[in-house]
Amino acid sequence: MSTPRQITLEQMPSGSRGRVVEIIGRGGWIYRLYQMGLTPGVTVDVVMNIGRGPIIIRVMGVEIAIGRGIARRIIVEPINP
Amino acid sequence: MSRSTHKKEYEIAIIGQPNVGKSTLFNILTGRRAHVANWPGVTVEVHEGETEFDGYKIKLVDLPGIYGFSTLSLEERIARNYILSGRPDAVIVLVDSLNPERTMYLAIQALEMTGKVVIGFTKSDAAHAHGIHINYDLISKRLGVPVIPVSAATLRGIRSLLRAAIDVARGKAGRRKPLRIDYGELEPHVSSIESILRGFEERLEYPIRWMALRLLEGDDDLYKYVKGVCGEAVAEEIQRIREEVRRIFHRDPAELLARKRFEYLRKILGDAIVRLAIKRGRFEGFTRLFYRPFIGPILSIAILLGMFMIAFTINTGFPLNILLDSLGMHGAASAVEEYSIGGLMEKLFSWISGWIINTFGESWLTDLIANGIISGVGSVLIFLPLIMIVSLFLAILEDSGIAPRMAVSLHGPLSKIGVSGHAIFPMTMSLGCNVPAILATRAIPSRSERLRLLITLPFIPCQARLVVILAFASSLVSGYGALLVVLGYAVAFLAFALVNKVLYMLEKRKTGRKEPELVLELPPIHRPLGRVIWWHVWDSSKHFLKKAGTIIFALSIILWFMINVSPSLALTDNPAESIAAGFAHFLSPIVYPIGISPGKAWIVAFALLVGFIAKEAVIETLTILTGTASAQQALALLGLTVPQLAALTVFVVLYVPCIATLAVIYSESRSIKHTLATIALMLSIAYVAMLITYGLSLIL
Repeated sequence: MSTPRQITLEQMPSGSRGRVVEIIGRGGWIYRLYQMGLTPGVTVDVVMNIGRGPIIIRVMGVEIAIGRGIARRIIVEPINP
Repeated sequence: MSRSTHKKEYEIAIIGQPNVGKSTLFNILTGRRAHVANWPGVTVEVHEGETEFDGYKIKLVDLPGIYGFSTLSLEERIARNYILSGRPDAVIVLVDSLNPERTMYLAIQALEMTGKVVIGFTKSDAAHAHGIHINYDLISKRLGVPVIPVSAATLRGIRSLLRAAIDVARGKAGRRKPLRIDYGELEPHVSSIESILRGFEERLEYPIRWMALRLLEGDDDLYKYVKGVCGEAVAEEIQRIREEVRRIFHRDPAELLARKRFEYLRKILGDAIVRLAIKRGRFEGFTRLFYRPFIGPILSIAILLGMFMIAFTINTGFPLNILLDSLGMHGAASAVEEYSIGGLMEKLFSWISGWIINTFGESWLTDLIANGIISGVGSVLIFLPLIMIVSLFLAILEDSGIAPRMAVSLHGPLSKIGVSGHAIFPMTMSLGCNVPAILATRAIPSRSERLRLLITLPFIPCQARLVVILAFASSLVSGYGALLVVLGYAVAFLAFALVNKVLYMLEKRKTGRKEPELVLELPPIHRPLGRVIWWHVWDSSKHFLKKAGTIIFALSIILWFMINVSPSLALTDNPAESIAAGFAHFLSPIVYPIGISPGKAWIVAFALLVGFIAKEAVIETLTILTGTASAQQALALLGLTVPQLAALTVFVVLYVPCIATLAVIYSESRSIKHTLATIALMLSIAYVAMLITYGLSLIL
């Protein structure tokens, strides 16, 4: 079995779903993401990603807007429906 | 701590994640005797309120909305220290019924600190509509604390929540000991830290287990505390264990612990929550518009512009009057102006002034009351309706959930000048008044962005400055008048954008920081509660009335004396002989470059000086000093040309915020240097802009 493809959250298209693998980096904002339920292992739905501006995701039933810089540091494994 | 069961007075804390409806519930519990805040960040201060229930006196403490108990932000630190202090007899943790899996995270973190917890599930009326069914008893049994469904809309469960909190306070409910979560493979490492700390048990103020977990998570505050109490060696040993965990699991320990907590939550909630159907909100399509390029920013800006147009028109007749005027409907235009709330209030105040002088005769005292105090305070009170209308709109936008979407839509354009979408809230508020705007910057996560906004927000003209612009505009023929207003706002926003950009570039060069970041929760769109909206409106009005009643009142008196008393301390009718004139002659050279003659320059200079205290007083000063009845006459008497008016408008818009704003900038930045730098920057930019405007309009 090949290892699942890993991409960043920024590369996930609208309507796609993925599982968070890793969040790279340190600092305050990473704790905020954990507190908002965005931890490795959790499933995220990309509500909207139009290639620019913040990405809208749904985690644990809550919609969150995430800037692209942070989205680039969230590693995701896409889940095929 | 020993707990007396005979106690009749209890202190109960309320905590909850943002958007769970905490402030609303707090106001219901206290019968509305504290501030409600839905603009992010306004609840930074801790609010207290009192209530009585079942013969018990209850002091309710509303802690700021927080996501967790790290020491990430001041809010989290305040909440954590308060709960650990042992002062609260019970802690009510509010959880959103629509998002229990996420918002319960705070509850179990609280339970790890103390067993004296009551969990309240808010919005329980909406849960059913969303197909969410929660088995509260099962959750209560599993966690060992009362779990109560409540609703701010229907007021269901409010009494039960208070009763449960009292039961916990009296020791009749709740856990005796904090919750102990099994952290699985991390347990050996947690217990190593625990056993180290146990050696210092009597000297440590906090629960050992909790400290061990937080230290493993990397809590800098607590680390410093332990270093102080237990010594360098112990702190280093704990640091070593933390590094070991990182090495073994190849993960940040903070991440591992957060995951374990969410796993635990899934176990607790898994079969206690049934979702029949995931119903998407009715406004899904509408909210998506905000996320689109071009459409999103345009929609947001249109909402904001529309809001201010309506508010301004109701209050001052502007811009509808100018629009009607330019269409040739002069009668309608002056009617709009005359019967605007501002126009009517102005009439009322001048009627009162006239009545006082007619009834009590002309004396220095009636002159002080009528022309000093009433016209001074009145000229400010005219803005009250405007403030109420604007805060009404802002409250609706926030409480409905539209505001955070606007932040998302404007994040792109705003990041070009180095600020995030978060900045749109304070920017919008600035158009009303700079003071609450500066307080609202507290919700901005990036400290450097916040400091930049503290300097630049005052460039955005508040309503007081609008009044000055409008008065200047009223002395010009209508076409030029409208142009002058546009000029004022254009210059202000240009200055705001440019200074932000420059500060951002300087910072980027120094620290190499990248683009501004955004992490923002988007609560579901819903119809706002009328009660909550009214609270907002009333709070901002109260704040404003207080200002009018104190600062402006005192200022009016001082101003009257400065204008009516000569340097030899004799009363005088001629302002040119007054203390004010003597004082202002020193300052008059500042307006020589725009061609104002020395004989009149002191009047303008003095008005600008007074504007430093409150901008709305600029016009008042001009009319009093020229001995005229309106701004129009005053400006005519001064014989200011169009280029001079344009230059002065630009200067008034930019030169320096009022004293109240400077006071908040100081209290927020806690730096005199920062505050003085703001003044110096604004003054120099305003002066240069004034000269440029004068030069350009001479050419045109």
